[in-house]
Amino acid sequence: MTVSVNSGRIRLLPTAALVLGAIYCVVPTLWILIAATKSKTDLFSTATYLPSFGAGIWQNIVDLSTYQGGIFWQWMLNSFGYALIGGVVASLVSAACGYGIALYEFRGRKVVFNVILACVLLPQIVLAIPQYLLLSNVGLTDSYLGVLLPQLFNPYGIYLCRIYAASSVPQSLLEAGRIDGASEWKLFHTVGLRLMGPGLITVFLLQFIAIWNNFLLPFVMVNSDSKFPLTVGLYSLLRHGAAEASLYSLVITGTLLSVLPVIALFLSLQRYWRLDLVTGALK
Amino acid sequence: MRSQWRLAGALLAGALLVTGCGGGGGDTAAAGGKVNLTFWDWDPNMDKVVDIWNQAHPDIHVTLSNPAGGDQLVSKMITAHQAGNGPDIAKVEYQSLPALVSNQVVADITQYTADTVKDFDDTTLKATRFDGKVFGVPQDVAPLMLFYRTDIFDQYGLKPPTTWDEFKQAAADLHAKAPQVAMTNFDAADPGWITGLMQQGGADWWSSTDNKTWQVAINSAASKKVADYWQGLVTAGTVAKNPSFSPQWNKQMNEGQIATWISGAWAPAQLGGIAPNTKGKWAVAPLPAWTAGDKTTGIWGGSATTVTTDSKHAAEAAQFASWLNTDGKALTAQIQNINVYPAATSGRSLPILSSPPAFFPNQANYYDLVKQVAPSARSFSMWGPDVTVTFSGYTDKFGAALQNNTSFATALDDIQNATVADMKKLGFTVG
Amino acid sequence: MAARNRAKLPYLLVAPAVALLTLFVVAPGVYALVLSFQARKVVGGLLGGGSKLVFVGFDNYGLALADPELWASIVRMLLVALLFIPATVGFALLFALLLDVPRVRLARSTRLAIFLPYAVPGVIASLMWGFMYLPATSPIGGDHVDFFGSTTVFFSVANVAVWGSVGFNMIVIFTALRSLPAELYEAARIDGCSELRMALRIKVPLVLPAIAMCTLFTALASLQLFNEPNTLRPLSNAISSTWVPLMKIYEDAFVDSDVNKAAATSVLFVIAALAVSFVASRTVSRVNR
Repeated sequence: MTVSVNSGRIRLLPTAALVLGAIYCVVPTLWILIAATKSKTDLFSTATYLPSFGAGIWQNIVDLSTYQGGIFWQWMLNSFGYALIGGVVASLVSAACGYGIALYEFRGRKVVFNVILACVLLPQIVLAIPQYLLLSNVGLTDSYLGVLLPQLFNPYGIYLCRIYAASSVPQSLLEAGRIDGASEWKLFHTVGLRLMGPGLITVFLLQFIAIWNNFLLPFVMVNSDSKFPLTVGLYSLLRHGAAEASLYSLVITGTLLSVLPVIALFLSLQRYWRLDLVTGALK
Repeated sequence: MRSQWRLAGALLAGALLVTGCGGGGGDTAAAGGKVNLTFWDWDPNMDKVVDIWNQAHPDIHVTLSNPAGGDQLVSKMITAHQAGNGPDIAKVEYQSLPALVSNQVVADITQYTADTVKDFDDTTLKATRFDGKVFGVPQDVAPLMLFYRTDIFDQYGLKPPTTWDEFKQAAADLHAKAPQVAMTNFDAADPGWITGLMQQGGADWWSSTDNKTWQVAINSAASKKVADYWQGLVTAGTVAKNPSFSPQWNKQMNEGQIATWISGAWAPAQLGGIAPNTKGKWAVAPLPAWTAGDKTTGIWGGSATTVTTDSKHAAEAAQFASWLNTDGKALTAQIQNINVYPAATSGRSLPILSSPPAFFPNQANYYDLVKQVAPSARSFSMWGPDVTVTFSGYTDKFGAALQNNTSFATALDDIQNATVADMKKLGFTVG
Repeated sequence: MAARNRAKLPYLLVAPAVALLTLFVVAPGVYALVLSFQARKVVGGLLGGGSKLVFVGFDNYGLALADPELWASIVRMLLVALLFIPATVGFALLFALLLDVPRVRLARSTRLAIFLPYAVPGVIASLMWGFMYLPATSPIGGDHVDFFGSTTVFFSVANVAVWGSVGFNMIVIFTALRSLPAELYEAARIDGCSELRMALRIKVPLVLPAIAMCTLFTALASLQLFNEPNTLRPLSNAISSTWVPLMKIYEDAFVDSDVNKAAATSVLFVIAALAVSFVASRTVSRVNR
């Protein structure tokens, strides 16, 4: 593409604007980092934007880890567990459903897809309380399953998978496979899934983040604090702090530690964010 | 088509199978085997006290869990009860007990506590005994007292006020000399605080004369007297508007911008966590009175240890509840680690109480003062069956009143109306 | 044989999703509906000899609709949405366009930085911003500006939501921009058209579908506003326990222990939300055409 751009100047204004935007997005995390370096006693008595370089942060991490027998790290593990398992299973469910709807004609196909589309428009969060009430009748509340199962259904993921399957798995390939005598199931998991691979990773990441960020469902569903994810755990710490001193440092340190792993995950998985899927769906 | 249903059926069956993974209620132990009890409690460091029990009772193991505190725990208990997976034992604040009894979440343990109740005076037992039945073992009692900074008082020439008029005068004096220092803070986020003050002022929010009809008097003249008094202080700018334990309040306590704290007898341990640099600078005095010489005070909180109706081992659970609140070792551990002031009469004379709390080395007779005040601490005749509605009404209405500088008395009227409406909706008779 | 398998497989593929849909969307909805027609009443005595569930028809709906708190919470939610939706979509569009300017520097790092808040749960973001708003700990002038005043609180809440959402929407619009064939505006560029005019006249109209989609997403998100006000509540006097409709439903169910009224409110909310989403998505598809 040989094109002469009209000047070789660096675009200062757009760059500056973007940098401002980036600063706005980074400042809270930066501030939490600074606040976490302050010891309990210093938190409310020193200038807020100057970090302390003493043993503050280490002591805070120790305090957080010993609070109630290290329950913070249990929360971290729970969040990862819910998000990882939920993300993988939800992606597979979405993949299967999307593939089935895209590439097969069967009775009820339209109905199923339209119902799923309607679910995309439904604010999932509003279902959390009725789900709790229903699950309490079968004794599934306060269990890991009670938090996982409702989050395995991802209507938007199914929608994306359908689009992706339709565009990346050519019927001709399937036909060729059938002529060769392959069973439908074999076609699905050797041809279909592989071709849908990159899109599936995006669907997985979307659902991972959605589960990682979810608050209301586990908040309502879970009573034992050992099963809390990070969102509910840190919120409960904040609420406890309203009746007991000195938990604020723990909340701040916990907030910092909870943000780091996902940022790291993000940075390393950058190239898998195929969000053209989202807009491609509109064509 | 069939395969779809088969799959759904399998999923449901699987879901039912793992119902066993649902946590909460006690396991059924084999005859003569180990009994496992779950205990919901939000006291910090309660795990250390539970450890003492577990070591002494290898056959009855208690697992502590801390899902939420105070009000939030009550609603969790009700919903857990409806799901059938509540704990065996739970810490319940006195004001929440009637609601749980009414919802049949808390069990009648009269038969297991015949001896235990002898260790409590009648005033204390009134909070857990309804219709002659005992629904919990009182854990602690927190009479409201005045905690003040001796150094700030000395600096500005103030003396600990003995009446509310003196308090108002001292607040005005302090404000004139040092406008950046507030006399105390008005806590619109903790209903337990205001109800303690209301109790001292003679208000009786819930009562019943015939044991069938409720009388609700949240906006009585006595309540409005207390509300108007504090409204005066807030308008004059002599008290801070931050709730206790909020970050802003934490900062003010650390920087000496609050001169007194109206709090329960458990305050010293909290102060140690909030403002460790102020050690030795605090002292406690009885709460200022409405008329000189009157020793009445109110109560900020206090809870009982209860056994739930879901428990499959009520006897063992009641045994633990009794032990926790009457055994000398247990009470000493509680005082040491959680800084509660025991409800049990014997507990108030324990050796550990002969020395002041660690944060108040300057006041050797700390616990003597508390012991003097405790018998004249009065609560309401009863707590209503829907206290959560009243309490959330308080935080919302008084929070808004503080925010918008509107009338506290009107807020009380709103709370009265909301409470009565809710009680009627639930089917209670309100006179 | 193969034909029979081919007939069977789609049902098997779709089955898990449909089962989950039935169990966790349809069933709870139906259950909520059933609950909404019932209420719990005490049976006699001062503290009641227990309570029983009775059928009350539309009473709960009447109570819910007559409750001024519910309407107040809806108004507040709308106020936040009024700030949140334009700000999110506007900034997302702005940053996407800026990233698409040739010769802009630091594009990859700034794009990443702006995207990162998406990975931060709303609760955590509210904690971070909450402490930044508090006078006691604020590095952004919280002791001079009252972030929790009666009007400023709306901006404060909206800000947290905007912070978390701009990144994702920016990437969506940016991806759409990147998929536009370059020839479209190279001609304009050669003719000396400024970047700004190009952006407004050419690019924006072409990515209108993506913009519409983002607006739909943010509109849906604003209906579900819960985490931000709920987490900021312990830190300020300005947020009540029923500040937005979802908080009202939660409070009814878990604080007032009135699951029946909460179920009725939930049903009303779902109907209203579906109506809004339906209208919004129709508008989106009309824009697409």
